[in-house]
Amino acid sequence: MRHPTDGTLRRLLDEPAGVADADREHVAHCPVCLSALAAAQQDATIVAAALAGPPDVDVDAGWQRLSGTVGDTGRRRTPAAPRARRWRAALRSPVVAAVAVLALVGGAGAAAAGNWLQIFHTERIAPVTIAQADLVALPDLSAYGDVEMTEPADVRQVADAAEAQRISGLTLPRVDQLPRGVTGEPTFQVGDRTSAVFTFSVEKAARTAAAAGEPLPEPPAGLDGSQFRLSAGPGVAAVWAAERGVPNLIVARMAAPTAYSSGIEFSTALDYLLSLPGLPENVASQLRNFTGDGTTLPLPVNARYLTATTADVHGTPATVLTSRDGVLAGVVWVDDATVTAVAGPLSADEVLSVARGLRWDR
Amino acid sequence: MVRSAAAGRDGVRADLEQVFRACYPRIVGVAARVLGSRVEAEDVAQEVFLAFGRSSVPAGQAVGWLSVAAAHTALNQVRSRRRRAAREQFAGDPQAVSPDVADAVVTRDERRQVRVALARLPRRQAVALLLRHSGLSYAEVAAALDLSPGSVGTTVRRAESALRKELNRHASSD
Repeated sequence: MRHPTDGTLRRLLDEPAGVADADREHVAHCPVCLSALAAAQQDATIVAAALAGPPDVDVDAGWQRLSGTVGDTGRRRTPAAPRARRWRAALRSPVVAAVAVLALVGGAGAAAAGNWLQIFHTERIAPVTIAQADLVALPDLSAYGDVEMTEPADVRQVADAAEAQRISGLTLPRVDQLPRGVTGEPTFQVGDRTSAVFTFSVEKAARTAAAAGEPLPEPPAGLDGSQFRLSAGPGVAAVWAAERGVPNLIVARMAAPTAYSSGIEFSTALDYLLSLPGLPENVASQLRNFTGDGTTLPLPVNARYLTATTADVHGTPATVLTSRDGVLAGVVWVDDATVTAVAGPLSADEVLSVARGLRWDR
Repeated sequence: MVRSAAAGRDGVRADLEQVFRACYPRIVGVAARVLGSRVEAEDVAQEVFLAFGRSSVPAGQAVGWLSVAAAHTALNQVRSRRRRAAREQFAGDPQAVSPDVADAVVTRDERRQVRVALARLPRRQAVALLLRHSGLSYAEVAAALDLSPGSVGTTVRRAESALRKELNRHASSD
């Protein structure tokens, strides 16, 4: 077996549960790796000492000061930069624009909510409205166990549509008529299948519950240590870029998310997870409605930024998301275990028109 | 003018206080690791929260966004301060050091070395290092910097190795 990378050894120091068992096993018996691990440990300790000392901070005084500044400057024009940055950050990895639509503005808090939700054999998508406060409260899955990325998406640009299709095995449709303002030829990106394994830890869940000041509900037998494997992709995207690299239009497809359980029934575990302290009750109850047959992917929609409506694309039900500022729209639907999405700084009519005009005879 | 969707009264997002109270110590910590001064770190934190308050960054991404912004702002300050220090030195304005404050000077000098060494690192490495040492998980660092979780360890490891070498170099040249 090859030696694990320096990065893997480094992670072993901080998050050993995030390192694959095979790598851990290898390191434990490999003098070369043990020596490298010791060197990494030494460097980490020296740097931690050099960077030490988060100071005691008076939050109340800090808030007083900020409130004063906000009051003084409240009527100034909102700077454009943070918003532009948000767009760029959201759109920079357009593989899986399906996920892009999720992450775009759903605020899905991608990491937090995404881990909770991409756990079904997806056949349909249904928006779940989540308020801003709920998004803040939505706990990270890592608070209840260990999450290990087992297959990175490795998003990369490829030469043309043919290569994108060959690598991903997904047909990428042609756009019949580009919306006004979108011009030129697209670039093509692919991402491999990405997957993660979540190992439930009763101990972590109890700590999280304790931090929330509530007792941990009695876990179902066999839950501790149960593993759930979540995967999505491969994915492929055609991206029409504007200046500064922010896409004007993305058309993307992705093998729909699925989940597998190695321990107890997934639905049992999910019901239990949904009952844990920390998850806002209204979100939990909305999510419970979707767990019946395990085929509907709840798409978290941040009500503050987005509105979700339904439409159809040639007979398939689709979810249309539009940002409340009217800048962004996306449409996403699932057909034959594949998620297709069209999104961009366009109107809902424009993305629907592109979606309905896609040509599959490439 | 089109107001941000997130903006409430006065153009400031409604969840600012909630996010501030949850994240302020950590964001001050990120900046303090660069600047070595609580007062300066709080200035940086105030600045980035102000920008955040006027942004529509999704709340779920707030910690990552604020941490990255604080790291960049603090590193930029170090860079501009070095330029200023170089100008002052050129103008013949050496700081007088009396023996009885030798200990304080040593501490200050160590901090200066850390700052200089951090500023010399490739920016992405420096920011990843700061986020990790400020308590963000690998997944959080990955999301904040648009890295794959697998490459966070590599980036942090490289940064630590380079920083340790820089610190050793200074120590041996003293």
